[in-house]
Amino acid sequence: MRPDFLRGGLLALMVYLCAAAPAMGIASLINATLQPSQISMGESAELTITSSGSSMQPITLPEVAGLELRIIGQSHRIEIINGATLVTTALIVRVTPQAVGIFTIPGITPKSEPLVLRVNPDGSSNSSTLGSLSSGKSPAGARADGIRLTADGSAFVRLILPKREVYVGESIPVDIEVGMRDGFVTSLNGLPTLTGADFTLNNLSRQPERVPKVIDGKEFTLLTWHSLLAAVKPGKFSLSVESPLTVRIRTRPQRESLLEDSLGDPFMQNFFGATVSKEITVASPPSDLTVLSLPSAGRPPAFSGAVGSFTIASDLSSATAAAGDPLTLRMHVSGAGNFDRVDSTMLERLDAWKTYPPKSSFKPSDPVGYKGEKTFEQPLIASKPGVQTLPGVTFSYFDPATRRYETARSAPLAVTISPSLADTSSSVPPASVAAAAATGAGTPAAPPSVSLRPDHLAAGREAGQNSLSPLYLQPRFLALPSLLSLAFAGGWLRLRRRASDSNGSRADRDRGVAQATHHAVMELESAARAGNATRFFNAARTAMLATVGAGLDAEGEEIRQLFALADEANYSADQPTTTEFERWIEIVRQRLLRGKPP
Amino acid sequence: MIGRMPLAMLGLALALTGCHLRAADADEPRYSAAALYNLGNSYARAGKPGLAVLNYERASLLAPNDPDIAANLRFVRASSHLPSESTGRFTRAVTVANPTVVSWLGVAGLAVLGASTLLGAVSSRRRWMRHAVTALGAALVGFTVCNAVVLWPTLHAAVVVTGATPVRVSPVPMGDPLFTLPEAETVKIAAEHEDFVLIRTAAGKTGWVSRANIVPVVPGESLP
Repeated sequence: MRPDFLRGGLLALMVYLCAAAPAMGIASLINATLQPSQISMGESAELTITSSGSSMQPITLPEVAGLELRIIGQSHRIEIINGATLVTTALIVRVTPQAVGIFTIPGITPKSEPLVLRVNPDGSSNSSTLGSLSSGKSPAGARADGIRLTADGSAFVRLILPKREVYVGESIPVDIEVGMRDGFVTSLNGLPTLTGADFTLNNLSRQPERVPKVIDGKEFTLLTWHSLLAAVKPGKFSLSVESPLTVRIRTRPQRESLLEDSLGDPFMQNFFGATVSKEITVASPPSDLTVLSLPSAGRPPAFSGAVGSFTIASDLSSATAAAGDPLTLRMHVSGAGNFDRVDSTMLERLDAWKTYPPKSSFKPSDPVGYKGEKTFEQPLIASKPGVQTLPGVTFSYFDPATRRYETARSAPLAVTISPSLADTSSSVPPASVAAAAATGAGTPAAPPSVSLRPDHLAAGREAGQNSLSPLYLQPRFLALPSLLSLAFAGGWLRLRRRASDSNGSRADRDRGVAQATHHAVMELESAARAGNATRFFNAARTAMLATVGAGLDAEGEEIRQLFALADEANYSADQPTTTEFERWIEIVRQRLLRGKPP
Repeated sequence: MIGRMPLAMLGLALALTGCHLRAADADEPRYSAAALYNLGNSYARAGKPGLAVLNYERASLLAPNDPDIAANLRFVRASSHLPSESTGRFTRAVTVANPTVVSWLGVAGLAVLGASTLLGAVSSRRRWMRHAVTALGAALVGFTVCNAVVLWPTLHAAVVVTGATPVRVSPVPMGDPLFTLPEAETVKIAAEHEDFVLIRTAAGKTGWVSRANIVPVVPGESLP
């Protein structure tokens, strides 16, 4: 910012003085002082190098790690003492620390004593010099209008509360003003914030209002934010707002900056290198605020936390509708308060109506949403036709003005519900339509269209149906093909099983006969080889009996039994009874009548 | 020879047939093709194309080959600026008779098919005649199945009966509208949720419509 020619001019002047000193016949003497010797981070100290005498040595500024030394000015004084001319030249160097600590600045000349500078953390310095520098927090002592300027008079922050007593959850509109002296404040580094966690700032306007203002004869730019302040817990609080800024601060004591102040223009001060940029946080004077709890007595069950002053109204999307058609019941809550807590379930249950949860929308009438109208829309579907009355909707809130709970109620609404088109589509057509359809004469309710084909005259004589659904999809009818299928499937399975059983028994019998024949032939061949006639013929008879009895199980057994009885009759004296004789006569007769060989 | 149980089932089936026919005679019929057609004409003249199309669709279920019904259905749809669906040869062939007749033909075909199968299991005489009868029964059953397949979409269709019906993204009245359906458009019912029906248009668009805005072609039919 500072022009280079200034530095060049100063150096030329210093060189001229150094060169002129010997001509004046005064020995040069260099002295250095550091003021103050203790500063905070962000502040600067002044190193003054005074050269006296008839000459001045060239000066090389020392380099100290952590310190920035920069020539910011020079002055010279000529005194005549007892006819002798004494020239004194002072070089002013600004010393800006880059870190906290104790720094030693070596002597300017080999014979000079080193200087010590103590740099404390930001805000802990008790330095009284450099009065134009702000320590970051504004000291107490606000004006009557609530404005408390920073120490250097560059900025202020003010919180404007409409009242000093609020309820928990209540929203109150507040204004936050940040005044910035033109040219002293270079930037605003963030939005204003509250200093405590007991309150919340809602709906803070993004862009502040900007107006010029003159305070104590100095021009300020006033930025104003609008917001809603809400307390989260009861108690007595001291509320403050702070805002981060970047300001230009003087680098020389105010008492030595009379010329700069007389110039008045910060640009001129910058021109002469009298200011540096510094980030500070400016806080507003604390404001006392009492937060009260909401009373528990008289709290309505439907109270949702709304605090303010509200009125409600309701309306319907239509005064007539068909059964099944959705209607929209609207409830308008207007007024001022914490609309974020304004809520309602409207009509939860209603006979002959199907209700849905409402949805809400808010239309603010001020920038922060303190005033406005919140609209709840609840879809309703009537299930029965007729004239029906919807009850009024209610809304409960706490009014801080009256300090009690209030319940607002809207007027009931009448609505006419007609039968649904879906219900009247075929069974209950409109009167004119029904008449036309019933007669089948095509009596039109409106002029007939030439493109519509005429009605069917056989409408009354045609056989009708009970259902439009095809018979093959009706459960009662479906039982018929199902049973038919089961019957045919069962019969087919039965026939298959019988055929399978018959084939199986015949195969078993044939297999038994083959085995018996094989054994008998073996026995016969054995008896023949032995020459045993009795054994041979007994075996032959047994084989024949087995062969005969294999085809018919029961009859074969009877035949075998008959042959056994005959043998017993030949070789024993046992005589069968009369009953046994009759039984065997009947068996033989039946066998002979059937024509089968015994 | 066949067994007692299959015979009992056959007897029960015949008894059911008798009961069904007697019940059909006893119940007062609610629908006739001519009455529905006349009702559709009346709605069309009254300027209610949605209800007109609905009744024409119902009438065409009972009398699928009635040229008057088809002509008036086309006319009302054209008047409502809606396209008419063209029917193919196969569709016309399998809907030559009304579904009731087709149902009885299917039962008769099933009986013929079953009887010929049983005869084939008992006797092997006149095999060519048995095969012909079996083919006839199978053809009748197949005809009934094809009729059901062709009519299935219509049985689960609905007609929009109100103008500019909103189709919503979700089955709630406050759901965001996707598009609107014109009156008399026929849509397919895909799902149901409380008072809303998920529909699919002929163009393939889907959304939820209030039950009050559409009427199923077949009352009581909803989900396929």
